[in-house]
Amino acid sequence: MLVLRDVSRTYQDGQPVHALRATNLRVEQGDYISITGPSGSGKSTLLNLVGLLDVPTAGSYLIGGMETADCGPATLGAIRGQLFGFVFQAFHLLPGRTAVENVELGMLYGPHTRRQRRSMATEALERMGLSHRMHADPRQLSGGEKQRVAIARAVAARPRVLFCDEPTGNLDTTNTAAVLAVLRQLNQDGLTLIVVTHDSQVASEARRRLRVTDGVVDET
Amino acid sequence: MRTRRRKERDEIGRLGIERSRLDIRDLFREASVSVLSNPGRSLVTVVGTILGAAAFVASLGLGSTLNQQVSTAFDLRRATEVLVEPEDQATTDGWLQDAAIGRLTRLNGVVAAGRRVSLGERPMRRMIDLRQSSTGVPVIGADPSALQVMAPRLTVGRSFGEFHERHATPVVMLSTTVARQLGIHRTGVAVFVADQAHTVVGIFHDVERRPEAMAAAIVPYSAAERLDQSGASQPAKRDVLVETSPGAAQLIGRQAPLALRPEAPAELRAVAPPDPRTLRQEIEGSTTRTTLLISGVALLMGTISIGNAATSGVAQRTGEIGLRRAVGARRRHIFGQLVLETTVLGGLGGAVGALLGVLTISIVSVVNGWTPAVEIRSALFACTASTIAGLLAGLVPAARAARIPPVQALQR
Ligand SMILES: Nc1ncnc2c1ncn2[C@@H]1O[C@H](COP(=O)(O)OP(=O)(O)OP(=O)(O)O)[C@@H](O)[C@H]1O
Ligand SMILES: [Mg+2]
Repeated sequence: MLVLRDVSRTYQDGQPVHALRATNLRVEQGDYISITGPSGSGKSTLLNLVGLLDVPTAGSYLIGGMETADCGPATLGAIRGQLFGFVFQAFHLLPGRTAVENVELGMLYGPHTRRQRRSMATEALERMGLSHRMHADPRQLSGGEKQRVAIARAVAARPRVLFCDEPTGNLDTTNTAAVLAVLRQLNQDGLTLIVVTHDSQVASEARRRLRVTDGVVDET
Repeated sequence: MRTRRRKERDEIGRLGIERSRLDIRDLFREASVSVLSNPGRSLVTVVGTILGAAAFVASLGLGSTLNQQVSTAFDLRRATEVLVEPEDQATTDGWLQDAAIGRLTRLNGVVAAGRRVSLGERPMRRMIDLRQSSTGVPVIGADPSALQVMAPRLTVGRSFGEFHERHATPVVMLSTTVARQLGIHRTGVAVFVADQAHTVVGIFHDVERRPEAMAAAIVPYSAAERLDQSGASQPAKRDVLVETSPGAAQLIGRQAPLALRPEAPAELRAVAPPDPRTLRQEIEGSTTRTTLLISGVALLMGTISIGNAATSGVAQRTGEIGLRRAVGARRRHIFGQLVLETTVLGGLGGAVGALLGVLTISIVSVVNGWTPAVEIRSALFACTASTIAGLLAGLVPAARAARIPPVQALQR
C-alpha cells in the first residue's frame, strides 16, 4: 500500500545532513510498526516522509501505486487529511476550544458536513473513554486525556494510517498504558499504525520493528 | 493550471477521497472562534486601531460641535450689527440729520438705525448726598433707535423713548456696574451728570450689542447734546448704530455711507463684522485639513499595529498552522483564515473605537454645555477604514504563515 524505494532526505542548510539514507520500506494495511533509534538518528524524518509532511530529496514513494512526487499539493493535502492521521508528542490542542471542537478541527477540511463532524467527533471521544470530558478546555485535561483527545482527532474521520511521533513522550506509566491500550484497539480494528518511540514497552507492542541508526533503517 | 487541476482531481478520485475544502461558513466560524477564544491576543492586535478610530471620530465630532457653537454665537450677536463713523469727527453736517437716518432705515435689511454720541468720562454723583465726591463715568447719548440696537436688558425700570428724545428730558439709564458705584438700587433717584440733574429711569445688567455700554450711563441723544455744549475736556464722538437682519451686515456696511451722505460717502466708514458664513468656511476648512491628517495617521497607526500583532501572532501559532496543514488544509485556507481574522479584528476595533469617540464627544459636550454634533458618517467611515486597514495588515503575515512547512511547525 505504501512503498518507499531508495528514499533519502538530506537537509541542505550549510553543512548537508543526511538525515535519511536510501531506504526501502513496504507498509501493508493493518501493520503495526514501531520506529526506534538514538536521538537524531532520523526517526522523525522517516515518519514525516511517509506521512507526506515532508518530501524526499531522492527516491520514489508510492501510495496505492501512485507516485507521490508527481502529485499536486491538493492531492497531498487531501491524502493527509483523509487517509492519514497524526499524533504528536506535543498534543497540539487549541486552547479556548472544547475537546469536541478540537476533534472536529481534524475533519474541518474534509468532505463531511458540520453535523456529521460533530457526531463523528463525539463518537471518537467516546471510543477514547472521554465522554465525560467532551466540553472541557484542553487546559483542564491531564496529559493522558490530552493525548487521547489528540488521538480522537486523528482517527475520528476513520483514516487508513495513523502516524505517531513519541505519543507517550510526555506521559507517565499509567497514562502510557492507557494510550497503548487505545492504539492496540485501533490496530485490531484494522488501522495501520506507525509509531516513533524510544520507549521499549511501546516498541514491544508493535509486530514490525524498525531501527534507525545514523539515517540507516533496519528491520529487526 | 487547468490541466494540473484536472490531474489532481484524477489522482484524488483514484484514491477514493475528495479534495480539501473549507466552505465560507466554516471559514467565518474558524476566524471568529480564533478571534474570540484568545481575547488577550485580539485586544493587543486592535488596541492601536481602537485608539485611532476613537481619535478620528472624537476630533471630527468635537470639531463640528465647536464649529456649531461658533456659528451660533456669531449668528445671534455680531452678525447683525454695523457701526458707521466719520473719518474726521468734525464732519457733523448732514449725515446725522433725520432725513439721512431715514434713508438708511429704509434700506432693505436694516432693522433699526440711530444716532449715538460718546461723551467720554463725566463726573457723576447722587444728588441727595452732598458729601459724596463725583465719580468719572463714560456717558453715552443715544436716540431711541440706537438704544434699540444696543438693546440693554433691564434689571429694574424702563428705557426712555421718543418723548424724552423730543424734549431732551434729563433722564438716564445706568448699567449695574455704574449704579453700584453710585450706590443706587432703584429708579426715580436723581443724579448729577456733569452738574445737571437727571432722573434714573432704568438699570440694565447686559446689552445685546456694543459691550462698551456696560460701563456707561446712557442719556437721550438730545439731552447729551446739551451736556456736550456745557463744556468738556474730551471731544464727543458721534456715530450711527445699525441693526440688520441676519446675514445682511456686510451688504448694509457697503451701502450705509452712501445712504447717509450721498454727496461724499467716502468721508464715512462703516464697520461690519466678518460674514459668519466666511468665518464658518474658514473654520470648516481648517478642521477638514486637521481631520484628514488625523485620519491618515490613525489609519496608518491601526494598520501598523494590526500588522505587528498579526506577525507575532503567526509566530505564536506555528503549531496550530502546522496542525491545520497536517489535517488537510491547503495554503489558501490558512491565508484566507488569517486575513479574515485581521479584517474582522479591524472592523471590531473600528466599531469599539467609534463608540469611544462618540462617548468622548458626548462627555465633553455635556461638561461644557454644548450641543454635541456626532456625525454618523465619521463613525461609519472609521469602521470601514479600520476594516480595510485590518485586511491590508493581514496580507503579509498571512502569506508568511501559509508558507510555513507543516513539519517545521509540528516539531516543537
Ligand atoms: N529542518 C532541519 N534542518 C536541518 N537538519 C535537520 C532538520 N530536521 C532534522 N535535522 C537533522 O536531521 C537528523 C535527524 O533528525 P530527526 O528529527 O529525524 O531525528 P530523531 O531520530 O527524530 O531524533 P529525536 O529522537 O531527538 O526526535 C538530526 O541530525 C537533525 O539534527
Ligand atoms: Mg524525533
